[in-house]
Amino acid sequence: MLIKKVQFATTNHFHTFFRCLSAVIQKRVPDNGIEATELELVNPQNDTPMKKSPLEKCTEDLSEISPYFMPTFNFAAYVNKSETLQELLKLGVNLYKLEKKVTVVPLILKLDFEKNVKPLVTFLHEFGVPINEIGHFITKNPFIFKEDLENMEARINYLFSKKFTKEMILRIVTLNPFWLNFSIERIDKRLGFFQQNYTLKGNEVRTLATISPKLITYNLRQIKANTFAIKEEMGFDEDEVKSLLLSTPKIFMKDQNGVLKTFEFIHKTMGISHDMILKVPEILTFREFRIKERHTYLETLGKAQYNPREPNYVALVSLAGGSDADFCDKVAKTSVHSFNIFLKTL
Amino acid sequence: MLAANAKEIWNNLRGVICVYKPAGIKCNQIRKSIINAVCSGLDKLEVRPPGEYIQIEGDTTKELNIVKKVNLADDVLVVGPRYQFGDVSCSWSSYLGPNTSGVLLLGINDGTKAAKIIRENRLARTYKVRGILGEATDTYFKDGKVVERSTFRFIKLSHIEKLLTSMQAAHQKKMFELCGVDNQSQAAYELAIRGLIRPASSKIPVLYGIKCVNFQSPQFTIEVQCINEYEMYLKTLIHDIGVQLHSTAYCSEIQCIRHGHFTIDDALLRKHWTLENIYTNMEEMNKKLLLHEDMLRQNSPILQ
Repeated sequence: MLIKKVQFATTNHFHTFFRCLSAVIQKRVPDNGIEATELELVNPQNDTPMKKSPLEKCTEDLSEISPYFMPTFNFAAYVNKSETLQELLKLGVNLYKLEKKVTVVPLILKLDFEKNVKPLVTFLHEFGVPINEIGHFITKNPFIFKEDLENMEARINYLFSKKFTKEMILRIVTLNPFWLNFSIERIDKRLGFFQQNYTLKGNEVRTLATISPKLITYNLRQIKANTFAIKEEMGFDEDEVKSLLLSTPKIFMKDQNGVLKTFEFIHKTMGISHDMILKVPEILTFREFRIKERHTYLETLGKAQYNPREPNYVALVSLAGGSDADFCDKVAKTSVHSFNIFLKTL
Repeated sequence: MLAANAKEIWNNLRGVICVYKPAGIKCNQIRKSIINAVCSGLDKLEVRPPGEYIQIEGDTTKELNIVKKVNLADDVLVVGPRYQFGDVSCSWSSYLGPNTSGVLLLGINDGTKAAKIIRENRLARTYKVRGILGEATDTYFKDGKVVERSTFRFIKLSHIEKLLTSMQAAHQKKMFELCGVDNQSQAAYELAIRGLIRPASSKIPVLYGIKCVNFQSPQFTIEVQCINEYEMYLKTLIHDIGVQLHSTAYCSEIQCIRHGHFTIDDALLRKHWTLENIYTNMEEMNKKLLLHEDMLRQNSPILQ
């Protein structure tokens, strides 16, 4: 399949048009093919044009002749003709999401199902990725087609050599489609980064990579910024940062300002100590307004008591987690309606 | 319960909704979440199936056969969800600043016209504004840096009430000046006997009523009925009250409790921003618009 990327200088130059010539087209109609008096056809054997009158009855099978694919903004123009796109569609790949990334479109159009897609799908499926997950996998990471299968195998073998079990690797690959795009050196560096910076043991690195595979390939700048916020701005020490990392890796991938806001509300307004937060680290994953709404409601009811040593204490998990109905029923012990009325006074 | 067909809902989804805007987020964020809620709600319902694709196949020298197929180019996975962000139009009828909470009217699809008319008709709004005495901040709001402290224990409720009454009187006087009539003229008298009037300009804030509803030193809450106001105006109002009481004050909370005939009871809370709730709210609000015709069609400059 031949692809030509045509950039139209006259139109908006931010949009790239793609022109695709399908393998279906074997005979090519020359650009100046239709003339006033005669139709010229190129003889494939000996490039001499055979002249034919247009009035003569056509005895040839012309079904294989088709016009060029016109330049387009999306896959929809090609999908009825292209077998590869149809197969990708059957796998459940969301082509609509792919065409938003400009570099992905030529990559996908160049693919041949038998040569490029099938080996990858069989490779992933044989490894254990469920077939209904593969569409999602490709939607998330279409750049997987750029990678060599041998390289991917080597990357999986690297994980085996680092004593990851098969289940662990399967979870990693399914939950983080980008993992297989990272070279062995890069993954090794990343694992080393976590091991050194948070003083993790070998087993802990493995559990961390398994419970949150996204964290390992996440933007390191964000992780460093969050570590700084947790350590310096919130005031957790090294060991506490490590336990936070192992229990809720999610807070290292969120925006640090949001996490800091939640922490400040819990620590300063609600007066909850660092030790208590460490026992329920999930509380830092909630947005501030959710905790604020419920805490102020409990405060007006006189039920905001978070000390476990005293009677009528409210567990932090039940404060932030769960639906409003659960919260009103179990914690506040009022009707949801009165909670809603309270929310309209904030 | 909603009908299962998305098209039916979509055709009826035109009108004004009333949402409760929480403090701390901007109107545009609310607009986006409402549109997203509408789109995702509609896409979960029964949507239009992909159309037919007709293909003419075969040898051109013989009889051609016509094949009907499902048009893959119309598949949801290829062209995207049937209802997308850009399909829904949504605009507010009065902008509330980021620190303000309360009633926010949004027009959806054809309802944006009604929202525009409500905005241009300049309906009166009622605010509850909370101030704290004794400190002044650089932004006039609680999030600013404290720049001044002063004593406030001497201030009693009667002091505040006295000041607010004189402020209200001054604004009523201004109301006539803005109409361009001489205070001593017959024209001014004719206007005055008909009641409170609206200013012709949409830029100048006018207060119609202002009273203290709660006073627990240093906290005080005032209720303001006004037109053409904006967030900073209400903040400076609190600051001015502080200064005129021979102390200082900053604003800690602004809540819009009423906009025209739409009150806080009609407003949808953030957790209820789903298609079903939006739809039922829209039906109620549209009924309300029919009931109070003056919100859309005004015949006189008198404040209703």
